[in-house]
Amino acid sequence: MTQSTTKQWSTEKLLLVISMIAILAGVAIGTSVGYAVRYEAPTTRTFYLFNSSLNFDEELWGVSHDTFSPDRITVNKADKVVIIYRNIEDANEDHTFTMLDTPYTFDAVVHVGRNETTPVLSSTSDLTSVNLHQNQTAVISFTASWGGVFQYRCIYHYPTMTGYLVVLG
Amino acid sequence: MLRWSATALIFATGLLDIYYGNSFAGFFENLWYVMGSIYIFTAAVIAAKFEPRFAQPAVFGYAIFLFVLWATTALGTGAGLDTVAYVDKAIEALLVVNMALLIRSSRSPNTLS
Repeated sequence: MTQSTTKQWSTEKLLLVISMIAILAGVAIGTSVGYAVRYEAPTTRTFYLFNSSLNFDEELWGVSHDTFSPDRITVNKADKVVIIYRNIEDANEDHTFTMLDTPYTFDAVVHVGRNETTPVLSSTSDLTSVNLHQNQTAVISFTASWGGVFQYRCIYHYPTMTGYLVVLG
Repeated sequence: MLRWSATALIFATGLLDIYYGNSFAGFFENLWYVMGSIYIFTAAVIAAKFEPRFAQPAVFGYAIFLFVLWATTALGTGAGLDTVAYVDKAIEALLVVNMALLIRSSRSPNTLS
């Protein structure tokens, strides 16, 4: 379309032609993408996370026997992640859920008892670490906005008590 | 006036596209970066009145194209149906109207463009 051609067109005709071309191109490409791509819309994914322990003597082996169960959480990018974290220790021992050196922060509601129906002890936003005493529960939530593999850990029982958040996409 | 409001709308859409690609998309987010960058570039072109007889219709068509592309893709896949995308596309719709008025004004024989 040359300048001399477009000069001859009325403004209405020019706008109409451009609109038609743009709409047809948008519909064609958009429909093709719709057929070609399988997309899972972001959703809320809830995980239950516990402290666990391996059956060996910590002092003999020189490392903590504590671990996370599960030690891997996999979500799609843009999902809302809710982790219900329980300290199920049978001894008086604290654990944390800590995400250091990652772009992630999270909101955490700590409950005084063994599940999330017990009274709230604290509710805090933009945390990188939350501490749980024995028999406490935390509801941790964030949006998986960055793709990649990110470590979560207990700062008291690192490196064995380590897990990985895997964000696909 | 229309030129500066168009520039502001183009720039806002470009920034929102980049923000969306960075934070929310989860679906071809690199394309959102590209679309946003093109918008920011064209904001400068429109502001500078560089080749307005070509640039203004091009931005008008580009905005319609992206709006329709988003609508059909969203219908087909369910992607991009959230508040940020709705705001982005609402601004884009305003931009289409603004560009149409700007083109009409620029092509008017009473206007030096």
